[in-house]
Amino acid sequence: MYYQEKKTVASIIAGILVLVFYSIYGINKYLELGENLLNDMKFWATAILIAIVGGIIIAIIVQIVFHIVLAITNEVAKEVAKEMAKEVSKKTGNEGKFEAYEEDEITDFEDEMDKLIALKAMRNAYIVVGTGFVIALITLYLKMPPAIMLNITFAAFSLGSLFEGFSQLYFYRKGVKNV
Amino acid sequence: MSKVVISNNIRKLRFYNNEMTQQDLAKKTGVTRQTIVAIENCKYSPSLELAFRISDVFKTKLEDVFSCVIIEDKGKKEDTI
Repeated sequence: MYYQEKKTVASIIAGILVLVFYSIYGINKYLELGENLLNDMKFWATAILIAIVGGIIIAIIVQIVFHIVLAITNEVAKEVAKEMAKEVSKKTGNEGKFEAYEEDEITDFEDEMDKLIALKAMRNAYIVVGTGFVIALITLYLKMPPAIMLNITFAAFSLGSLFEGFSQLYFYRKGVKNV
Repeated sequence: MSKVVISNNIRKLRFYNNEMTQQDLAKKTGVTRQTIVAIENCKYSPSLELAFRISDVFKTKLEDVFSCVIIEDKGKKEDTI
């Protein structure tokens, strides 16, 4: 797995954490306060705003932890590769000659393939968000409480973001065509 | 519509160029190693600009690095470029 894929996995984990925390909080409050909560728009607006801010903080923390772990594993893998190469060199008699270890570069540089994959993944995310928004409008048309519409919209954005991440992983694994 | 399959000789050319690593080729062409791996495995068709940059690294013609086979819908090979 390469750096961009690992970074995408970290983003997916952050997205799942936010969605899980929000769902647990929302369901618990709903069970606690009952159906009256569905008409309390201020509560849901506050909860979603907190989820957005919390999501940004969680994403930053996950990225920091991910980069620390990646840097450590890179160094360990480098040392192991050097040790193994030295042993092989001793056995074959070619001391000092060991194969270069190709470390997983940590860079935010995006090349043409990364940009193409990001575009295609974002297109998929827009489909999810758009579908969710239409479903949210239908709930309003069916005279369901506005909190349901708000929650479906939030879920659509969250799932869209997750779908974008999974799409990126898919394209990195399966390949991407310029069509 | 016909299907276009683009293959390449990058692995062979790297071997003949002093076992050039994928990382070295990536640095010389200004892309990530992941992209070079994807191109080598025919999972990504590079832009014309990148294709020319790769052939320039190996000091060869573009058609020595990349080749293209056009296949008709029925599976019959139509043309090789």
